[in-house]
Amino acid sequence: MKSKRRIAFSLLLVLILVGIAACMMVIGRGHTVYFDNKTLEDYNGQEYKAAHKVVVTVKGEEVAKLGKRERGMAVWIGQNFKMTLEVTQEKGDEPEVRTISLKLPYSVDGIVVNLPALLAGLPEDAWFSEFVPVETESVDEEVPGTGDEFGLDGGLGLEGDLGTGDIPVG
Amino acid sequence: MKKKNIPAGKKALELVRGNAVPIMFVIICAIFIPMAGFSPSYLLNEIITRMGRNLFLVLCLLFPIMAGMGLNFAMTLGAMGAEIAVILVADWQIWGIPGVVLSMILSIPFSALLGFICGTLQNMAKGREMITSYIINFFINGWYQLIVLYIMGSIIPIIHASIMLPRGYGIRNTVSLLNMRQCLDDLLAVRIGGVKIPVFTFILVGLMCLFIIWFRRTKLGQDMRAVGQDMDVARDAGINVDRTRIISVVMSTVCAGFGMVIYLQNIGNLPTYTGHSQIGMFCIAALLVGGASVEKASIGNAFLGVILFHLMFIVAPGAGAFITGDSMVGEYFRVFLSYGVIALALIMYEAKKRMAKSKAGRELAEAQKEKEAAE
Repeated sequence: MKSKRRIAFSLLLVLILVGIAACMMVIGRGHTVYFDNKTLEDYNGQEYKAAHKVVVTVKGEEVAKLGKRERGMAVWIGQNFKMTLEVTQEKGDEPEVRTISLKLPYSVDGIVVNLPALLAGLPEDAWFSEFVPVETESVDEEVPGTGDEFGLDGGLGLEGDLGTGDIPVG
Repeated sequence: MKKKNIPAGKKALELVRGNAVPIMFVIICAIFIPMAGFSPSYLLNEIITRMGRNLFLVLCLLFPIMAGMGLNFAMTLGAMGAEIAVILVADWQIWGIPGVVLSMILSIPFSALLGFICGTLQNMAKGREMITSYIINFFINGWYQLIVLYIMGSIIPIIHASIMLPRGYGIRNTVSLLNMRQCLDDLLAVRIGGVKIPVFTFILVGLMCLFIIWFRRTKLGQDMRAVGQDMDVARDAGINVDRTRIISVVMSTVCAGFGMVIYLQNIGNLPTYTGHSQIGMFCIAALLVGGASVEKASIGNAFLGVILFHLMFIVAPGAGAFITGDSMVGEYFRVFLSYGVIALALIMYEAKKRMAKSKAGRELAEAQKEKEAAE
């Protein structure tokens, strides 16, 4: 009876831990969101021009102040992204403040948001794209475990004639 | 019962003898602090940061000491388990506090399995637990290197190139934990006079202390203490000695895994191949500096040890530069001291044991002589 209770308690504990871990995997997924203030050309035959200035605020912190053709970024944990945009369409205009919520896809690390398309209320395929890091020629990192810790890569200094030929054998 | 009247001089001498290591470190720190020339607020800031970073790790050493298994050099196994968990979590891009919590949960099976292996092996080498655990470290370290260097990326899927070696498998020398960095320390943190106090981390340390106090009073805790005092008596009393000893090591390695996650989130990066190598040594040295011994350690020893040992760590390079003009001398000095203090504690433990044994032998011989004379 006691051992049954113990097994049940252990299983319950494991289940709770698995549950918490699953929860953490969902709520803790990090994303990098890039904001592009770039003109979207020829979307269904129309052009959506970049604003003169866009100030992006995330969690009360100003993360980017974008002029035309500029990109900013912010990191976000979770899938429900919120930002406040302060958009000045033309120089001298009054800035318009808009709060925007986005649902970020779980599987995507870096998300590029085209702000003119988003502000124009276009469908997701117009303003959303995945950020693909450019593959650079990587500098060869030393593979750990190669060589030795004692600086004896050049050998033990035992090369050459040790004079063993003179040792009588047998 | 009234205590015997012991002269004050003898009392003081006993006190000094019993606390020789902490007193030595207090003197060293008192000499080094003015030489290093750091401001009090800087020193306080550094001490508090290092307390938050290391205390959890040091506290996990108390369980095996309770069970009479000495200093658990195998806490490094828990650190390795935590490192594997952190690598996976970094690859899955789980950031912030959820990342820390997930790392801790993921580290449990790795640490528990390694702790179980270590405990079982230590049971086969009773009386030589410390050296056994030390050698097990090297053995498991080889497996760790194999997993991290060859299996991760080739068999265990690793998605992100940023943590993988350019050859396509194996983990880089350093894994960035920037998105996890100090997330626990910054939670509820308060600043008093320029000194940042990581309140949440201290709450975790406090909970660990409460757990240790509570655990000592439980049936299992009492069993551990009984096993620690005398294994044969404990066995005769119906305690499953081997099982109790294994549990103490498993608890220690699992807690070391949690401690390592706390440590890594504070540092903000993971030195994949070297991160765990010095952890055991420095934690054990810190505990011994706090006045603990191989057979007796308390929460107070852990706190005092971390403060004194890390104070010495902070001021030693500055003092070295002041004395010799080269801060590296201070670096060597602190490493030499940390190994030295472990050696000293082990020698003192062995000498004490031999003295007690010979004293008991003498008393027995005298008693036999008296008996023979009476007959």
